[in-house]
Amino acid sequence: MEINDQSGDERKLACSDVTKCFQLLESILDGEMGETGQELMKEKLAKCQPCFEHFHLEQAIRDVLKTKCTKQAVPTELARSIRQMIQESK
Amino acid sequence: MSEVQRRKYSQEEKTAIFDGEFMPHIDSMYNFAFRLTFDEDDAKDLVQDTYMKAFRFINSFEKGTNAKAWLFRILKNSFINEYRKKSKQPTKVDYQEVETFYNSDDVDYQSTSDLRAESVKDMLGDEISNALNALAVDFRTVIILADLEGFTYEEMAKILDIPIGTVRSRLHRARNLLKEQLKGYAQSMGYNTNEEEED
Repeated sequence: MEINDQSGDERKLACSDVTKCFQLLESILDGEMGETGQELMKEKLAKCQPCFEHFHLEQAIRDVLKTKCTKQAVPTELARSIRQMIQESK
Repeated sequence: MSEVQRRKYSQEEKTAIFDGEFMPHIDSMYNFAFRLTFDEDDAKDLVQDTYMKAFRFINSFEKGTNAKAWLFRILKNSFINEYRKKSKQPTKVDYQEVETFYNSDDVDYQSTSDLRAESVKDMLGDEISNALNALAVDFRTVIILADLEGFTYEEMAKILDIPIGTVRSRLHRARNLLKEQLKGYAQSMGYNTNEEEED
């Protein structure tokens, strides 16, 4: 039997199948698992500390990429020059 | 893939598809191109070329299907076939090398990273962008497609011409490499990446 640490919220401190769990969590975070994914995830996160930490790190990384990555302003004349090139090629 | 159905759009239809389905993606296309080339002029040329090709081959586009993925695929192929060859600075890691070096199903899922979610959240846009830009182009690409543009694994598989399993593992590796970059920033900023709290 595994060591049962009393960390406030009864999560296992070691994950017995990191590869499977992390891969699953990443797929869920990438929106690949639909509704069933959400349930599975809740279950995992409640029970396993490494999964919990991995999930939050992976989620943070996706969030900052989505929200903070500097966006390049599209040159104003680009759309116009594309239309012009198309027009000329007709 | 089924063979491309021959259909002919009228001039009006072509214009409608081009304006209604292709042009709205110019923003994402330009940003993708810029993140591949790191150069405004090259990015502009790449986007222009892509739209020219899209127009020329518009009959092979099925109205109402995923125009953005279709365009991204053209852009990525143009980049590989033309710009990458032209580029003065050879890419640090070549596609094939990456595949041979990393191509195994034994993706390392051990959590070696002691990077913390809190430090990641505190990072600045420039730090995130620089970390992303520091990745080899194939890794950079999957992150752009997944996280910045929100493509699904299936769409990415089509854009990149690779199996879904490869999309998943390449994305995982890409994010691990990104974590390594971010960890560097976190440490240099004095964020806590390990055990001790310091103030």
